[in-house]
Amino acid sequence: MSSDLLVVENLRKQFGGLKAVGGDDGLSFSVKEGSFVGLIGPNGAGKSTTFNLISGVLEPTAGRVVLAGTDLANVRSSDIASLGLGRTFQTPRAFMSLSVLDNVLVGAKSSGENLRSVLLGGWRSSEPALIEKAKAALTRVGLEDRVTETVSNLSGGELRMLEVARQLIRDPKILLLDEPTAGVDPSLQGKLSKILTDLHKEGRTLIVVEHNLHFLFSIADQIIVLQQGELLSSGTPQEIKTDPKVVAAYLGDEHAA
Amino acid sequence: MTLIAQYFVTGIVTGCFLILATIGFSLTRRVEGFLNIAHAEMLGVSAFIAWGLNTQAGWPFLPAAIVAIVATAFLGLFIGRLVYDPIRNLGPAVLLISSVGVAYVIGGAIDGIVGTGIRSLDIPLATTYKFLGVRITDYQMIVVGLAALTGISLALFLNKTKTGLAIRAMADNPALAASRGIDVQKTSRATWLVASGLAGLAGVMLAMIATLSTDIAFHQILQILAVAILAGLGSLYSVLLSGLIVGVAMDMSVYFIPAGYRPLIAFAVVIVVLLVRPEGLSGRSKS
Amino acid sequence: MNFEQLFLTVLTYGCLFSVMTVCLNLQYARGGMINFGTVAYFAAGAYAYAIFTQEPPKGLDQYLFGFDAPWWIGFIAAGVASLLFAIITGWPTLRLRGEYLALTTFAFAEVLHSFLLNERRIGNGSVGLSNVDRPDFSAIGLSENYGFMLSAVLLLILTSLLCRRILASPYGRAVDAVRDDEVAAEAVGKDVHRLRFEIFVISAVPIGFAGALYAMITTLVSPDLFTAEVTFFVWIALVLGGEHTIKGVILGTLALVTFEEVVRSLHFETVRAAEIAASVEYMMTGLIFVMILRWQPFTRFAKKGATP
Repeated sequence: MSSDLLVVENLRKQFGGLKAVGGDDGLSFSVKEGSFVGLIGPNGAGKSTTFNLISGVLEPTAGRVVLAGTDLANVRSSDIASLGLGRTFQTPRAFMSLSVLDNVLVGAKSSGENLRSVLLGGWRSSEPALIEKAKAALTRVGLEDRVTETVSNLSGGELRMLEVARQLIRDPKILLLDEPTAGVDPSLQGKLSKILTDLHKEGRTLIVVEHNLHFLFSIADQIIVLQQGELLSSGTPQEIKTDPKVVAAYLGDEHAA
Repeated sequence: MTLIAQYFVTGIVTGCFLILATIGFSLTRRVEGFLNIAHAEMLGVSAFIAWGLNTQAGWPFLPAAIVAIVATAFLGLFIGRLVYDPIRNLGPAVLLISSVGVAYVIGGAIDGIVGTGIRSLDIPLATTYKFLGVRITDYQMIVVGLAALTGISLALFLNKTKTGLAIRAMADNPALAASRGIDVQKTSRATWLVASGLAGLAGVMLAMIATLSTDIAFHQILQILAVAILAGLGSLYSVLLSGLIVGVAMDMSVYFIPAGYRPLIAFAVVIVVLLVRPEGLSGRSKS
Repeated sequence: MNFEQLFLTVLTYGCLFSVMTVCLNLQYARGGMINFGTVAYFAAGAYAYAIFTQEPPKGLDQYLFGFDAPWWIGFIAAGVASLLFAIITGWPTLRLRGEYLALTTFAFAEVLHSFLLNERRIGNGSVGLSNVDRPDFSAIGLSENYGFMLSAVLLLILTSLLCRRILASPYGRAVDAVRDDEVAAEAVGKDVHRLRFEIFVISAVPIGFAGALYAMITTLVSPDLFTAEVTFFVWIALVLGGEHTIKGVILGTLALVTFEEVVRSLHFETVRAAEIAASVEYMMTGLIFVMILRWQPFTRFAKKGATP
């Protein structure tokens, strides 16, 4: 049986006087456990802001987010991440002074991250297993040849894959991906699509912001459409494709093409 | 009661001096984007040029002061172009740390040339006036007058002149200013001239109302920082208010706690403001 | 100029100040925190040592406490005092970033300085505490000079090992990640506040120990030994060393101390000449500092041969 893993209720965010997310009632939607949700909408529709609100990078002006029964109000983003939420960013973020491998290892919850274990050296025994896991994650995203390189050698698309690998090693329950295919080499896109399908099969919940609609409509089982921060429509890919509101506001061009 | 009033008036004078000393610092922070620790050394440069021309070369005070201010303005421009321009892309932290190095060079130079000891200008002794039992000297009144005049001129300069408007545009959004055809280089140079010139003016005022020793700069920078932070780093008009607050708070404190703790008030201000309201009086967000 | 004496002085003070630069390196180059109040933790250690080891007040003494404890208790107290001061100052301030953190730590250091100067009950105010107790090295057959030199070297080695151990672990990796990109580090569950706070506090402890050793060597603690100049000195040494590797910052500090001691050991005929020499030394220090920040030669070198 599936229940709502993520509930967004009357969420609103304003920057100065400008509305970024949510109309008068705010933005509301829910995501069932194990579903694959596509979040689409024109530029400036508030997709990335919604991700930032869910993951705690931004504080909502009003409304709330509930993850697996926990109200996330006043929960720090690091704690939200520890609750099992993983995310990538619209502009890929990497730890520039670390190697590719270390960038992935940062994602792992290592026992060597508390001072006592560091001073006593107890972390050493668990490290090899983590390194194997990190290498496996890098292989999965197609970066197995780049393990020892510094991240400054990676292309924008490769940085995106690196971010995915960093999340894979964490084993998140729910994963928010912000434009995962942007700038990614077509050969890697196939890998990405396979990873996403696999993660979905493993029972993980995915929310993906994507402009590549063919990619998204082929694998998502629910689509949420935002426009100017408000919910325009929500439903299966088939329903969305034929929704007159969506077609008029967003899909028009592509539909005509 | 008269004693409190006396401390209050002295505090206003201190505050007016702090306004003069801080506006240039805040202007640099606003336009160039970093905390110029060496700003206080510019006060020292100006004060000692004025002192040298006045007492060593025997010039009258006014021309000595004017030459000191102009020389300080150009020295500031020179340092800005030589030291800070090339490293601007390394970020505000490196610029801040570099300015400590610059402060060392200037401080060392002043020490070497002037030598240690207490100095004062060769000007007539201050005349003291008494209003309702509160004393104020003519030099102190000049400081207050000049602070007011500077506040007004700065407002006019920033709002009415082309360079002033360019400075404001660059302070608010450098990228946008550049794309709108503002000459970033020229504006930056104008900023250095104005900011250092103001430091020069403050330095001359300091020479007028106080005795000089070569370590004055360090004591000034602490108070300048306090005023700038209370105002909200980089905001200009709030400096007028925060200068007065810090000045009055410091001088009035002497009534309640031992005089040795007077400088402490400035730090208490820094700590409290940064912990409670980092954006300061102005309410501009720090980003 | 007595070469042996110069060698001993350089090595002793060089290692002593290196302890501070190594810790500052941990805070700044790795943790991304600008601590402009370094001297405060140094002073806290020195005063704690002096207060714990001195005799109870008598006669003209204005200080309140003296515990007449053996030197090693004073030494431990120095580490604890610095740790406590780091907790008190770090807890409220570490959510601040960059220059805001720099200013607050600077202000805290000035507040401490002002208290030491004005509150005579802590350590006799501006007079300070003299005749500070020192351990007796004759028991192990060492002269005092060599004893202190070896102590400073030992303290530096232990501090470096501690830093290395922290940085070469997953903990160090997380610290680096937080400095590189806080938001991304939080997105993988790193507790940014905890990491920054722990690094800040743990790196204050060796600075406190260095303070105790300094008090033993000078046998005097007074407010004018602990001014912001000490902070700037350590910062200059840090920049001189290229900011990144432990080896680099130690070499930077040794170079700066050597430079200062050589200038200091020169003989001048007049007071004025000595004064000018001091000013020139000051200017040179500033000039070198600015030039290194401008061209960063050591950083480039260190990056090429960077150790993991």
